[in-house]
Amino acid sequence: MSAAKKYRPMDTTELNDTENIAACLKKGDSSNPITTTTTTTATTTNRSAFAAQNMNSAASTNGERLPNFSMLGPHHGNDIRAASTTSNLLNRMGAIHNTKPGDVKKIVIKNFKAKPTLPDNYSEDTYVKLEEAVLAIQLSKPIKYSLEELYQAVVNMCSHKMDAQLYAKLKELTEQHVKRNIKLKELTGGSMDKLVLLEKINNWWLSFCQQMIMIRSIFLYMDRTYVLQNSLIHSIWDMGLDLFRIHFAQNSVVQKRTVDGLLTLIEKERQGATVDRGLLKSLVRMLCDLQIYSSAFEEKFLDATNQLYKAESQRKMQELEVPEYLQHVSKRLAEENERLLHYLDSSTKHPLIYNVEKELLAEHLTTILQKGLDSLLEDNRLNDLTLLYGLLSRVKNGTSELCGNFNGYIKKKGRTIVIDPEKDKSMVQDLLDFKDKMDVIVRNCFEHNEKFTNSLREAFEFFINQRANKPAELIAKYVDMKLRSGNKGTTDEELEKTLDKIMVLFRFIHGKDVFEAFYKKDLAKRLLVGKSASVDSEKSMLSKLKQECGGGFTSKLEGMFKDMELSRDVNLAFRGHALSNDRDVTNLDLTVSILTMGYWPTYTPTEVTMPPQFINPQQIFNKFYLEKHSGRKLQWQPTLGNCVLRASFDAGPKELLVSLFQGLVLLLFNDKPMLSYEEILAATSIEDGELRRTLQSLACGRARVITKTPKGRDIEDKDQFDFNNEFINKLFRIKINQIQMKETNEEQKATEERVFQDRQYQIDAAIVRIMKMRKTLSHNLLITELFNQLTFPVKPADLKKRIESLIDRDYMERDKDNQNQYNYVA
Amino acid sequence: MADDGENSVDNRATDDSKPEKMFTLKKWNAVAMWSWDVECDICAICRVQVMDSCLRCQAENKRDVLGRQDCVVVWGECNHSFHHCCMSLWVKQNNRCPLCQQEWSIQRMGK
Repeated sequence: MSAAKKYRPMDTTELNDTENIAACLKKGDSSNPITTTTTTTATTTNRSAFAAQNMNSAASTNGERLPNFSMLGPHHGNDIRAASTTSNLLNRMGAIHNTKPGDVKKIVIKNFKAKPTLPDNYSEDTYVKLEEAVLAIQLSKPIKYSLEELYQAVVNMCSHKMDAQLYAKLKELTEQHVKRNIKLKELTGGSMDKLVLLEKINNWWLSFCQQMIMIRSIFLYMDRTYVLQNSLIHSIWDMGLDLFRIHFAQNSVVQKRTVDGLLTLIEKERQGATVDRGLLKSLVRMLCDLQIYSSAFEEKFLDATNQLYKAESQRKMQELEVPEYLQHVSKRLAEENERLLHYLDSSTKHPLIYNVEKELLAEHLTTILQKGLDSLLEDNRLNDLTLLYGLLSRVKNGTSELCGNFNGYIKKKGRTIVIDPEKDKSMVQDLLDFKDKMDVIVRNCFEHNEKFTNSLREAFEFFINQRANKPAELIAKYVDMKLRSGNKGTTDEELEKTLDKIMVLFRFIHGKDVFEAFYKKDLAKRLLVGKSASVDSEKSMLSKLKQECGGGFTSKLEGMFKDMELSRDVNLAFRGHALSNDRDVTNLDLTVSILTMGYWPTYTPTEVTMPPQFINPQQIFNKFYLEKHSGRKLQWQPTLGNCVLRASFDAGPKELLVSLFQGLVLLLFNDKPMLSYEEILAATSIEDGELRRTLQSLACGRARVITKTPKGRDIEDKDQFDFNNEFINKLFRIKINQIQMKETNEEQKATEERVFQDRQYQIDAAIVRIMKMRKTLSHNLLITELFNQLTFPVKPADLKKRIESLIDRDYMERDKDNQNQYNYVA
Repeated sequence: MADDGENSVDNRATDDSKPEKMFTLKKWNAVAMWSWDVECDICAICRVQVMDSCLRCQAENKRDVLGRQDCVVVWGECNHSFHHCCMSLWVKQNNRCPLCQQEWSIQRMGK
């Protein structure tokens, strides 16, 4: 051990060299005594071995433990280096020994005097020996000789330039062996069961491989020297495979039977039976190793796959519902992938999967979509839709076909929501729900694919405009319903979310002016009656609309809010003014909403006769206001006002919240407790229909503060009304609702009418704008430009009418030469 | 019918006993629309209704502090009215009323 320690300072390369040498030495030592005596020729290899042997005694005296290399040693190639370093080492060892007196040894190396020769019949004997050994291996019999001995024999043969003959001999032996085996199979193969045949071939192949490994081990030396030096010659292993291939591939019967057997096995597995995957894997590996995988097997395999799945898909498409079919396809694909993983060559992956997808999916794309998509979407089957998308995205045009059908479904379904006047009540809610549902599907099932998002948008835009104006109107009404107070149970955040969703629908609407008109009308009502649920929500809706359509769209709506704020200030100032001037208005609480004409919807002005308790404060206010704002005039709107009346009934005093008209009628009863319809009409001069509705609300509604004789729902000319002193209600403040059922239809018509009127002006303006810029333009080009500029849907016939009208009004003229050409008239 | 008869009798009874009015007006929320007190509601210079802002102001979307659009109406001695913005540009070129060619002088201005 002390010596080993002293070696430490030596650098590692030298230490490795020592080991190398030791390895050579060890081998030489144990393999055969002949080596030392017969092979110490001048070849480099042997020199190193010799040198190492000489060193043996020295090394062992040092007590050095030498690594025991049982491997056959990668020593050639290192030879020269090993030899040169040996002398170095020896010198150094000598030096070490020198430090120990009494151990001195002097080593002298001399050349052999005569070149060693082989015994005369050595090569013949060795041939026989090796042949026997090879045959024994091939027939799986015990070998007579030790492997060491055989290896050494090969080394010697090679060293004595007999490697070429040896190689030829080995090749011949292998070829014979292969031929023998194939014949055997052929003879017995006729009636043999496929599985048995496959197993036989497999066994034969495996043992052939083992034999070749064994043989290669014995002939390793030849493999490393002779074969390496001659690039044209295959290594022993390749030679074996080559021969096997030639005879196997040439023998079409065997090959065919093998491949058929494999295909049968795979088909069995596909039908659900368990098969020996190890066997399949081994045989497929054999085909790969023999490099006939793609030529002999793959093509047939793919053919068989195609046929199987073609038939299967046709059958299953008939038998199964689409979702089940999709499950089946997905299962099949998983199986095929597993098959690839377990025994098929990875090069088959692409064509195999492609073929399966083609047969199972691509071929049936339209059928699957037509048969199944609608019901999947209808029933909201998210998992199946995800699967469908996943599968279709694998085949060519899969997603675009899916997208097209998806689009078609939305259009069809959406149309049924929009088109039916019976469903108007629930249309907006249905649309919102439908949009939500489709959004979820696109997001969760279709991976948020942009193509689908766009298609969804396009489809909505398409169907929502299938019915002109009505959706816009209903959306406006829906917003009104949401923003009106009394819509309890929703928090501000929920409301905000709903409004956002509404905006999405609004974006699809082409005739946004219809929406604006209805929205404005409803907003006016909310503001004037103080029915708005939350100012914040109103403002937020307004800012959304502004963002969507620009400031021009909302400036008037904003003006309405401003008017309400300004009115508050005016009223404060008026109260102060009234107090300071000590006028007799303090007993009446008058609040006036001053609206800017033009911002608000137009209300038809009506004249009614009002008693002095209204007229006086009104005049005072008028004076006050016009002093403050010169150049203005005020138009009072009796239809919009409301008032609070104190009423004294037998059961006690009550406060009644009534409209101005209702108030006017009730106040008449102060002078005369019983009035006929005609009297009331004469006293108030309220418009006939309006008065009838007003009386109806007072005498036939929920709170009947007057009674009608004779009883009945409708108000007749001869009816009598009197004060209902017995009126009882548990509440102190009672709101008497107006009846306006009949009005809504008229109102609606009026609003629409107004929108169409506005549109005509817009068309006129656009025509003039374009003609002013272009000076002359053909009819068709003008129409095209108009369609680009106008933000609402129009029919070409309407445009034509407007053009005619403008020609009549001398804004433009027809060209004298060309009837289809217009000239701008400045 | 019997009910009605009773009611009317009752009514008269209470009427006699209570000289107080059956209904008194307590509060009135009135609504009025204001507009410029003009003869022609279109500005002859920009051809926009005087209730709306003139074209120039609409394009610039000008607002005063109160948020009202700062585009008032102006009346000349001839009683013709225009947007103030339009007229102040007009008089730079020609100090006559565009409608009647009288010398332009402001009678009053809207506010």
